[in-house]
Amino acid sequence: MTLFETMGQMDSVSIGLWVTGLMLLLVVIGVRVAFAAAIAGFLGLLWVFSARMGFEKGFMVALKMAGTIPHSKVSTLALSLIPTFILIGYLAYHAGLTRALFEAAKRWVGWLPGGMGVATVFSAAGFAAVSGASVATSAVFARIAVPEMLKLGYDKRFAAGVVAASGTLASLIPPSAILVIYAIIVEQDVGALLMAGFLPGAFSALVYGGLVIAMATTRKRFGPPVRGFSWRQRFETLPGALPIFLVIGIIVVCIYGGVGTPTEAGSLGAFVILCMALYKGMSFADLKGALMETAKLTVMIFTIIWGVLLYVRFLGFADLPTAFSDWITNLDQSPMVTLVLILLAYAVLGMFMDAIGMLLLTLPVVYPAVIALNGGPDVTAAESAFGVSAVGCSIWFGIIVVKMAEFCLITPPIGLNCFVVAGVRPECSVQDVFRGVIPFFIADALTIAALVAMPGVVLWLPGLMGFS
Amino acid sequence: MAGSHTVLEDDSRLSKADRLFFKLESLLTLIGGVVIFLLVFLATANVLGRWLFSLPISGYIDWVEQAMAFFAFLGIAYTQREGGHIRMDMLIGHIHGRLLWFTELISTLLMLGVTLVLIYGSWLHFLRAYEIGDSSLDINLPTWPAKLVVPLALSVLALRLVLHIWGYARATRQGGERPVAVPLIEDAAAVAAAEAESVMGEQE
Repeated sequence: MTLFETMGQMDSVSIGLWVTGLMLLLVVIGVRVAFAAAIAGFLGLLWVFSARMGFEKGFMVALKMAGTIPHSKVSTLALSLIPTFILIGYLAYHAGLTRALFEAAKRWVGWLPGGMGVATVFSAAGFAAVSGASVATSAVFARIAVPEMLKLGYDKRFAAGVVAASGTLASLIPPSAILVIYAIIVEQDVGALLMAGFLPGAFSALVYGGLVIAMATTRKRFGPPVRGFSWRQRFETLPGALPIFLVIGIIVVCIYGGVGTPTEAGSLGAFVILCMALYKGMSFADLKGALMETAKLTVMIFTIIWGVLLYVRFLGFADLPTAFSDWITNLDQSPMVTLVLILLAYAVLGMFMDAIGMLLLTLPVVYPAVIALNGGPDVTAAESAFGVSAVGCSIWFGIIVVKMAEFCLITPPIGLNCFVVAGVRPECSVQDVFRGVIPFFIADALTIAALVAMPGVVLWLPGLMGFS
Repeated sequence: MAGSHTVLEDDSRLSKADRLFFKLESLLTLIGGVVIFLLVFLATANVLGRWLFSLPISGYIDWVEQAMAFFAFLGIAYTQREGGHIRMDMLIGHIHGRLLWFTELISTLLMLGVTLVLIYGSWLHFLRAYEIGDSSLDINLPTWPAKLVVPLALSVLALRLVLHIWGYARATRQGGERPVAVPLIEDAAAVAAAEAESVMGEQE
């Protein structure tokens, strides 16, 4: 039997496994993720249709099918939210928000024990949320906040650790592009996901803040609080930091109150930040630069979306997700153990790959399996394995996976944020940053455990909106 | 974030072609950025119009859906030139010289293959819409211009990939660590730090 005959007679699950294996091989040898998925998707379609109708006819069918996907998958209204969130992020740099936020936080919470550390946590959290960029936030605050902390006598390891960790608060608090991408891939409501991220994100920030206070009160020779600001001086800092609250507020109110679509909320947010940036004297060259960067990041995200959806189209013909779900639900262990193992696999994968690439590549196969573990797509909370309905499970899993992807950024030995902070601050070695980040790493691990154990924290806000 | 990787230049024909083509790619990307900018204004006007005067923009959804192809595709070659499409550098971050450039050559050839297939497929998709006069649901905008953007942008990408293949083939032949006209391998931390440096530099 020739190779082609053998290939033609394979069952669909085997074809799915071969093609998926090929895709992973391409990713490992460094083919851009979007194109690795597109190559695998097209070859998979070609394989399936050639087996059914011969190579020539099969090639044309696969080609036509593949050719419609980039345009049709990208031109959906829900995706139009993504560039608005990205534009908010780039404009936020130009609106002078980083320094304004840090100054405001210093004056408002600096009096607490470890005050400068607490101020760093909250200002970085606010900026990370609006910019949506974990790594860049850590890099920026390493330049702003670390020198001030060192001046006050804070330990350099702590100062570097707090900055590296605070950047990771980017992806849960709205606006979050990655939650939008998750929602679209799993066909869940974008607004529900954005709302679901709010409490866990804010909770993570509070945990970090509380941790700094606890460390300051228990350890000797910790940096002193910053006192002596009058109320007048405090209120003076508010206008500069206001856009952050406005943007988060607009998005939360629009979506929660149902008075605007997510895209309208994102656009209003971008509009507010743009006015602020122009008011702060953003030049035409800066605006052009921000638009170019926005366009580039948008293209990157959209390319990987259609590339992966081409692969997903093929998966529809190869019953791989079903086979994987069957296998995983028949494992001889409790569904919770399986879920934890899946999350640990993400923790490892996230060290080697960007969060967006990791989620898009894995979710088409992993997500149906998680839903099946919980009891299937129509299960009610009472009958489910995790105590959440199918809709609840999809929202809850999204929040945990995204938190997990951020967690990877400070996981030794290759957490990217730690390398970035060490790169920006010559006085800190990478080991220093990893040492400093350990308390935050432990706190995050406990936060994730709490979110896994208590889906109610994640699902409360979406529940009020009618998603439960 | 999609970082920018360094692309070296010299006075070779390859580098000249790279820089010339980069001008076209930059222009297309800027058009994509401007469309995003207009989308922000359109959506803002739509929501404010609806709140303040109960007067939303007619055909808002159609306009947005037709605009999306422009910012989703026009910058695709630019992003490739800058090394902005994400990938896993676990393996290629650890190999050097000829072996590295040869691996890149193979990756780029594979990318070119699928790009050519998609150019033809998306061209047929456009042609169908053009011939039957397909239009949007609400205000009957023709859908073919947006569909035409896809094969056009992918053709620009294909030309960029040819330039990269040229660059990697040259690097494989010549060896060395720092060839011209291709994105150099830099670790993500260095890219992010450089990015922060540039945005912070503007504020200080």
